[in-house]
Amino acid sequence: MSVQLVFLLAFGLAAVWFGIVVFRTHSMVRSALALLFSQTAIGAMFLVMQTEFLGVLQIMMMATEMSIMAIFMVMFMMDPGGLGEMDMKHQRKLSLGAGILAFAGATALALLADWGPIATEIPDAGEQVRLLGFELLGRSMLIFESAGLTILTAMIAATAMAVQAANRPEPAAPDRGPDRGKQHGH
Amino acid sequence: MSTVILLLSLALGTYVVAVLEQWASTNRLRLAGPVISALRLLGQENILPRKSDRLFFEVGPVLLLIAALLSLAIIPLAPGLIATDLATGALFFNAALAYVLVAMIMAGWGPDGAYGMIGGWRFLGQLIAYAMLVVMPITTVAMRAESLSTIDIVTSQEMLWNIAYQPLGFALFVFAGMAMAFVPPFDLPVATGELAGGVEAEYTGARRIVFRLGRMVLILSVSSAIVVFYLGGWLGPWLPAWAWSMIKILSVAALMLLGGRMLPRIREATLLAWCWKLGIPLALANIFLVGILVLVVPL
Repeated sequence: MSVQLVFLLAFGLAAVWFGIVVFRTHSMVRSALALLFSQTAIGAMFLVMQTEFLGVLQIMMMATEMSIMAIFMVMFMMDPGGLGEMDMKHQRKLSLGAGILAFAGATALALLADWGPIATEIPDAGEQVRLLGFELLGRSMLIFESAGLTILTAMIAATAMAVQAANRPEPAAPDRGPDRGKQHGH
Repeated sequence: MSTVILLLSLALGTYVVAVLEQWASTNRLRLAGPVISALRLLGQENILPRKSDRLFFEVGPVLLLIAALLSLAIIPLAPGLIATDLATGALFFNAALAYVLVAMIMAGWGPDGAYGMIGGWRFLGQLIAYAMLVVMPITTVAMRAESLSTIDIVTSQEMLWNIAYQPLGFALFVFAGMAMAFVPPFDLPVATGELAGGVEAEYTGARRIVFRLGRMVLILSVSSAIVVFYLGGWLGPWLPAWAWSMIKILSVAALMLLGGRMLPRIREATLLAWCWKLGIPLALANIFLVGILVLVVPL
């Protein structure tokens, strides 16, 4: 077994383990950061497979994305610190079935698909970046540009929904009896 | 041999940054200052807050130090004097420093204290403000060098440094870099006097030393990146290459620390508004301008 394969397996196991930790912990922040480290391990697997750009990109993007997810989980969940021992697992039978099905499907796809000839010569990292650039601005341009535009639209829509328009009246406060209403005199 | 030189310059650089930081915050230049502070902190009790998230509390400062150290791995001090010349160096710098955010969230959340937690999440808001202004100016630097390798980026500036070729990008990158290293006036996550130290508030003794050390290395790393991307790296007349690198990096660190103290601390909302309403359009305009320049005036 080559050193490369050992590292690949180690990072793969780490990714799976952190994925399990996501559901074993009670704390929202721990759960989010466990997911981050699972993704970081996948980035490290890319690095082991000598796809430097993809690996570094994965490691970079996930850090910010998962941190932002963490703050949303803290904001919206009733027990962000996990001190109430909240359980992360819901709908166990359904999720177990779905998980097994997805795993079997992915494994079957990996084994049965025709992957074409396996590359024997790996271009060096600098050449890979160059080739990726040509790919992104050539054959795959339409896909990436439409994805980018979709995300931009979603961002603008989300911001528009979040912003309180200056001339829109504040939602009426619930009536809490005559005294309360007089104190907030607006 | 080059490993030893790199480690020594790292130690020296960090120490000088620590001296400068103390000078900037206390207005007194004491060469032995960092040693005295470290000894004082070592003698301090290592307090563990009650009900802390122990794992995050311990890992936070260490992760901050590791992220800052990793980001320095792609900084060349002279031709051949670099820890690792990655083909994706400029991107790697970003990837490593993205984990500063993770470290700050861990260190802020871990001790189960209000000041720390507010500080940690504040840094997330700060990242949303500065992140694009770090990435977009790096894009234009890479456009000119036609490479993400930091060595290629420095050699692309032989005719003209990037500070002159793309001054707008330089201004944006320095602004964003200062926010990334949370030096004043962007020291929101540790805001002394307002958040009682913020993320640092609950750390004492040896853990605080690691946190402070990580922050010094982070300031050194950001100054090095400014030098490599915009100030011609090791390029310069008469003196040897490594000397130019050291002089430039430490001058940038000194200017950042001493200049930042003169400005009032910025508000989180103001920072976000500036970055998104003014900074990002300017950064996009910079990409457009440099794109034309690279095609028309390939210096």
